[in-house]
Amino acid sequence: MVAPAGISIAKLNFSIGQFSLKDVSLDISRGEYFVLTGPNGSGKTILIKLLAGLLRPVSGELWIEGRRITELPPWKRNVGYVPQDGLLFPNYTVAQNIEFGLRVRHLTRQERRRQVDQMAEMLHITPLLDRNIRDLSGGEQQKTALARALVLRPSILLFDEPVSAIDEQTRDPLCLELKRVQRQLGITTIHVSHNSRETALVADRVGFIKSGVLQNEFQSFTGAAPGA
Amino acid sequence: MKPRGPAYGLWFDALMALPLALYGGLLLLLVGSLFLRITPESLRIAFQDRALLNAIWLSMWSTMLSTLLSVLVAVPAGYFLSRKHFRGYFLVDTIIDMPIVLPPLVLGLCVLIFFRTALGHYVDRQLIIDLGHLFNTQLVEPGRGLFIFERPGIILVQFVVGGAFAVRVIKAGFDEFEPRYEEIALTLGATRTQALFLVVLPNVMPSLVAGAVISWARIFGLFGPIILVAGTMRNHTEIMPTTIFLETSIGRLDVALVIGAGMILISVVMLTIFKRLGGKGYLW
Repeated sequence: MVAPAGISIAKLNFSIGQFSLKDVSLDISRGEYFVLTGPNGSGKTILIKLLAGLLRPVSGELWIEGRRITELPPWKRNVGYVPQDGLLFPNYTVAQNIEFGLRVRHLTRQERRRQVDQMAEMLHITPLLDRNIRDLSGGEQQKTALARALVLRPSILLFDEPVSAIDEQTRDPLCLELKRVQRQLGITTIHVSHNSRETALVADRVGFIKSGVLQNEFQSFTGAAPGA
Repeated sequence: MKPRGPAYGLWFDALMALPLALYGGLLLLLVGSLFLRITPESLRIAFQDRALLNAIWLSMWSTMLSTLLSVLVAVPAGYFLSRKHFRGYFLVDTIIDMPIVLPPLVLGLCVLIFFRTALGHYVDRQLIIDLGHLFNTQLVEPGRGLFIFERPGIILVQFVVGGAFAVRVIKAGFDEFEPRYEEIALTLGATRTQALFLVVLPNVMPSLVAGAVISWARIFGLFGPIILVAGTMRNHTEIMPTTIFLETSIGRLDVALVIGAGMILISVVMLTIFKRLGGKGYLW
């Protein structure tokens, strides 16, 4: 099989307890911002975790940028994953969190610092770099989590309800920031959300999942999203 | 310290505090009476006795070594029990908890009986001889074993008892630390080992220290099973708790009191370290 650039999911099946994801197939073009919506417990986060390699599918295939990743462990997938609550490592500062992926790749201290500074500048969080993560607001935590994922130049980005735990005033600006950065870097993105306003702000295309079945009709938002 | 609970009801609070004061007072009275009986003369006798100093030294290093072994086993075991649920989990979990609920003397008896089985006899008597042959040397004197009436026997008993406490406390630390942090580390390119050492262990450090101190505290005063397995031979397998027994049995109560006071002081220091490191809540 020759998979297209971007993300390709073919007949993916997965089950856990009573829940199962059934024959999910989906192609997302390179650079596209795809929003996956659906009710709670419909399988959105499971699909994201399958792509990140945190769960193993029962059957089916996963391709990223033409590379088959179905059996690859998460550390070999080069996937940027930002969960709902950021999950910054409590024992590290903001800068240490951002450089974590570079550290496990054994980059030199100077190179790590350079890349962290560059990413912090892009996301306007340079003043936060030496802060303890307990002193960050929800929005700052999510930006740090985004920087931590982006600094590794991932092939794709997976956002799992990245702004749902943030106060309303910060949500829209952060959504626009996500969209701006995604456009700037041209990274194929899947964003899980069940907020229609958030979806309208960022989506190029929207998919709907219900009870583990991906609906085949997708709304196109191309050109309609503010800030796009 | 921030006050907790309602600000009114002084008499009620006083009523609640009364048993605390009585029990705390009783403990202080008992410990104080021991310290008050110690005379400069008994201190002089105790510290001039080479065998007693050897017993203190053996107590310290054997408990430290056993604690280290307990933690080395408890970190992977506690992690596995915390993260994986498998068929037979309940059984494994119950077996690991056995040393917590079993009387130490029964555990000592188990160790003693094990060394009377064919396998145990081989491990105690023959293994060390075979190892000696392998390296073309004699590792122990003829007729002596590796564990029974020997110092490694002390460490084995201490490890058997202390290991369970370390596993229990350290597992509680892993339970409290969200596994999703590890998942994030993996997506950032860390292997399982890197995620464990760079993310999990630094964040559960207070529970590791608590596990070590609880394990140490449990084995420091261990007496019955050690007497059963290693005996209490002067300058060989005598440790602080067995010294108290020996000294009392030959009528040297003053010296026993000095050793008892030393054990109290060492325990208080360890307990203070444990509480300062935030270990509270893992045991009680």
